[in-house]
Amino acid sequence: MILLGNYLILSGIVFSIGLVGVMTSRNVLRVLLSLELLLAASNLSFVAFSKYNGDYAGQLIVFFVILVAAAEVAIGLAIIVVMYRRLSTIQADELKEMKW
Amino acid sequence: MSSYFFYLFAAILIFASLAVIWARNPLYNVLALVVAIFSLSCLFVLLEAFFVGMVLLLVYAGAVLVFFLFVVMCLNLNAITLNSVQQIRFRWWGCVLGLTFAFTFLYAAKSFILAQTMDPSTLRGTIETIGKILFTEYLLPFELTSLLLLIAIFGIVSLAQGALSTGKDDEGP
Repeated sequence: MILLGNYLILSGIVFSIGLVGVMTSRNVLRVLLSLELLLAASNLSFVAFSKYNGDYAGQLIVFFVILVAAAEVAIGLAIIVVMYRRLSTIQADELKEMKW
Repeated sequence: MSSYFFYLFAAILIFASLAVIWARNPLYNVLALVVAIFSLSCLFVLLEAFFVGMVLLLVYAGAVLVFFLFVVMCLNLNAITLNSVQQIRFRWWGCVLGLTFAFTFLYAAKSFILAQTMDPSTLRGTIETIGKILFTEYLLPFELTSLLLLIAIFGIVSLAQGALSTGKDDEGP
């Protein structure tokens, strides 16, 4: 029998892994991938709560989160490509000035 | 029976997420995230959220991660060398922070799990049920997401045009 807590613990573990990824990586691309992990972990807990509370709202929120995340990834990757063209690197340290 | 599947896909999800943050090659990071998203979609199906699971598989593993793969292959990232000293220092701080978060979360979840004895409801997130709610109760947010995607397209086009027109002209000091 799988309880709600099993899903929540799994979601917490994946969220922690994603958090470590966001904190430790210098590579902007890997930061974006770790952000995807964070979103995936929160999606999992939303769906688990939706199932165990008997409410469809959690699944609809996950649907919207997926849509927003797709837009976010598209913009983020466009920024990475522009950064690589201008700086020839995608290390986050190289972004030292706000002026483009 | 379904509990075995839960543990199987949970293990795959955890190992794939570890591969996302630890693998050296950016290509392997992206492919590990594909595996993670796939097992997450399987967990959604175990929770009987069929529609959301399929959308996750199609949009994430199908479109977004292929986009990631294109960018990784375009950028030729193998030429990048890492600054090792600062990398290690930040890695320690990040691991400390992540472990602190994980222990805090597990401590909070432990009392929560002992307190609750909720049974899963008979809710089934099929296309029919989700679509009925999506186009009645959540119609306005659904229409607003189209506006959001339009703005995202504008942003990408303007970024790409800026990169093309002022490519590497003004790189000097």
